Amino acid sequence: MQKWPCGETRRASLPWRRAILGAIVAAGFLAPLSAQAAAPAPCAALQEKYPDWKGKTLVNAINPHTPGYESIDPKDPSKYVGFDIDLGEMIGECLGFKLTYKAVTFAALLTTLASGQADIVISDIYATEERAKAADFITYSKVFDGVLVAKGNPKGINGINLSLCGAAAAENTGFVEVPLVQALVPQCKAAGKPEPTLQLYDNNANCIQAILAGRADTYINDVNTVDNAVKAYPDKLEKAIAVTIPYSVGIAVPKDKPKFREAVTAALTEIYKSGDQLALLKKWGLDPDNLKEPGLLTVN
Amino acid sequence: MSLFLHYLSLPYLLAGIELTLEVTALGLAGGLILGLILAWMQLSRFWWLSAIARGYTVIFRGTPLILQMVFAYDALPHIGIKLPAVLAAGLALACNEAPFIAEMLRAGVLGVERGQIAAGQALGMTPAVLMRRVIAPQAIRTMIPAFGNESVSALKNSSLASVIAVQELTLRSTQLASSTFDFFSIFFASGLIYLVLTGAISGIQLALEWLLDLDRTSRERKLADYLPWRRVDLLTKPELAEKNAPPIDVVAGLEPDSPAPPARTLTPEERARRTATIARNNVAVEVKDLSKTYGQQNVLDGLNLTVRVGEVIALLGPSGSGKSTLLRCINHLENWDAGTVRVGGRRLGFDDDGKPLSPRAIANERANVGVGMVFQQFNLFSHLTAKENVAGPLRWVHGMTRIDADRRARELLDRVGLSHRADALPRHLSGGQQQRVAIARALAPNPSVLLLDEPTSALDPELVNEVLEVIRRLAVDDGLTMIISTHQIRFADEVADRVAFLSGGRILEEGPAHEVLSNPRNPVTARFLSVMEADKTPEPVR
Repeated sequence: MQKWPCGETRRASLPWRRAILGAIVAAGFLAPLSAQAAAPAPCAALQEKYPDWKGKTLVNAINPHTPGYESIDPKDPSKYVGFDIDLGEMIGECLGFKLTYKAVTFAALLTTLASGQADIVISDIYATEERAKAADFITYSKVFDGVLVAKGNPKGINGINLSLCGAAAAENTGFVEVPLVQALVPQCKAAGKPEPTLQLYDNNANCIQAILAGRADTYINDVNTVDNAVKAYPDKLEKAIAVTIPYSVGIAVPKDKPKFREAVTAALTEIYKSGDQLALLKKWGLDPDNLKEPGLLTVN
Repeated sequence: MSLFLHYLSLPYLLAGIELTLEVTALGLAGGLILGLILAWMQLSRFWWLSAIARGYTVIFRGTPLILQMVFAYDALPHIGIKLPAVLAAGLALACNEAPFIAEMLRAGVLGVERGQIAAGQALGMTPAVLMRRVIAPQAIRTMIPAFGNESVSALKNSSLASVIAVQELTLRSTQLASSTFDFFSIFFASGLIYLVLTGAISGIQLALEWLLDLDRTSRERKLADYLPWRRVDLLTKPELAEKNAPPIDVVAGLEPDSPAPPARTLTPEERARRTATIARNNVAVEVKDLSKTYGQQNVLDGLNLTVRVGEVIALLGPSGSGKSTLLRCINHLENWDAGTVRVGGRRLGFDDDGKPLSPRAIANERANVGVGMVFQQFNLFSHLTAKENVAGPLRWVHGMTRIDADRRARELLDRVGLSHRADALPRHLSGGQQQRVAIARALAPNPSVLLLDEPTSALDPELVNEVLEVIRRLAVDDGLTMIISTHQIRFADEVADRVAFLSGGRILEEGPAHEVLSNPRNPVTARFLSVMEADKTPEPVR
């Protein structure tokens, strides 16, 4: 990941503009070579072992509405940036393939993969048994959820518990938090309290807007997403609490390509071992506690 | 505000316009092609084609576009069709637009007056020529507003392509909103971009309406008339056009555009000589045992009629007696159940073995045999000027050059006293003038027989004479073979050689005009004539 600071210094030295422009162009051409050098040493061996994807360009389906993980770069909207994006590029560098991106709704991530319109999904998607019926998951990160509420937490929500009874929760279609909130319905009933309601949206921005507009009381999602939202609207939003969710974040790969799954797992393991994954977490301001050794979640 | 302007000019968003337009264009172009096929299938005379088209319409009009998009994108790959996202979106949009466009096309085609189609058929136009020259030009004009609507809706619907990863304007806006949290500035900017695009479509629509406006040439109609705050009363337009035209239709027989001078009435001696000549002539039309039923009702009941070359026959009889049906059978605009019709010795509508011909072959035969027809409701092609109404069919059916056809048209319009209105549209002509143009049109190909179906019944009383005068001259001066169904007893008496009185699909009585009209032998004929006699005023418009 030395590429990044290097890029910053290049941009900083303004007087040499023209020479630098040439340097950037040259660097552009040389980038794959230097990347090769930057990738963990065992990657060369992996490329030999898994030559099928070397020199290829694969499609990564993402739901680019999660700043920190994947979103377009506000400074240059033609690029996607974030932890997942960098991680994907690193895996690509290690195995010798390049990635292009296909932006879809969250609920369409796995269908896009299954229809062959994408080769891989690295998009902050939680690996669950249910989802593992549609794709194999290589897990790479622990999950901490944040509970986003309006400033002052008027409903006194303090977790995925009875404090949600009678509240309106905004969620993205297909999110794992949806069944968690639904599971509260009978519990609230049993406690003689009103049921929680769900509002399903298409992306983070819409969920956050639902709270800002007073339509929803809470939005429970990955803690870093929640933190970013609070950062953007410090006067209007706050994080009520962070909760642990019994899932891992996973990279989804097609079920019918075990060899590809093996190769990605091997590359990810190298990136984990080399410390690059931890460095990435830090670079994107994510909690280092998220770090997790790569694992597998598959069902038949 | 500055953020709004920033996003409005952001190349990232502007680049989304291109994809939005691509998907829209694919959807509209594909939808038009598919829609044409669907409309053609639905209008086809084969029921199973129309059933397939109906089924397609039910499915694709009845399911949400968003599902169709996802289907084209995610389901088609499972059967081996992996389209790029833009093409998949374009395909889904096209499949979705097609039934709507097909219905527009169908409405446009069905909206063209049936009478004009009958007139085109009577002139010998094949179905293809009829579609291209008569139906399509009028249908397209009426369809432009609906098509503008459809284009705007397609443009907006293209935003649904965002669910299948097409980086069009809406997807770019939501992504940008997610990463910057500038929700409203971004959506106002993209909303304004959509407005500009849909505004451009409206502009194109209005420009097309202006270009194809038939009144644009006859009267200065400015593009500004189409602006929403301008009010142009469409009903006053014909009057305006009339005001600009020379004065007309003052008193029948005296008006400047009447075919001067009036034909004289034949003396009894001349009449006798004429009858003797006709008796020696060949048979022009021979109708034998003609029968036709509509459901339970016998419209024609074993009818026999022979008409000789140069003869003028008036068909009299109450409404529903079968006069019109008989005329429509003679040039095979209608089918019948039994009997034969021969024109000039040929059996129209059947080949040598007696098998029915296709609509195309019948059209060609009509053109060759030459049976002209004049309708009660004139049935001029309303998108063509008087001159084009006459000259057009000559070019399209008889293959005349434009110069020859125009010369012939001018000659005939002159004969019916309308050369000064050659460039007027039918709607700017009075009823009498329209019927005279219709007569000129029917005469242009030199028909061997002219059929006139109550040519003056739809006319205001003061306009009847100018048309009768034209017909009278055709009979007396030109010796044209004519079969006229009419309620004008006095006219029949003066002009017809023979009258045939129809009732219940049969001829009750026929004979020399003067004899039958002054001395009817059949009591039904006598009663009918005395009623007509009592009501001297011309037949009111039905």
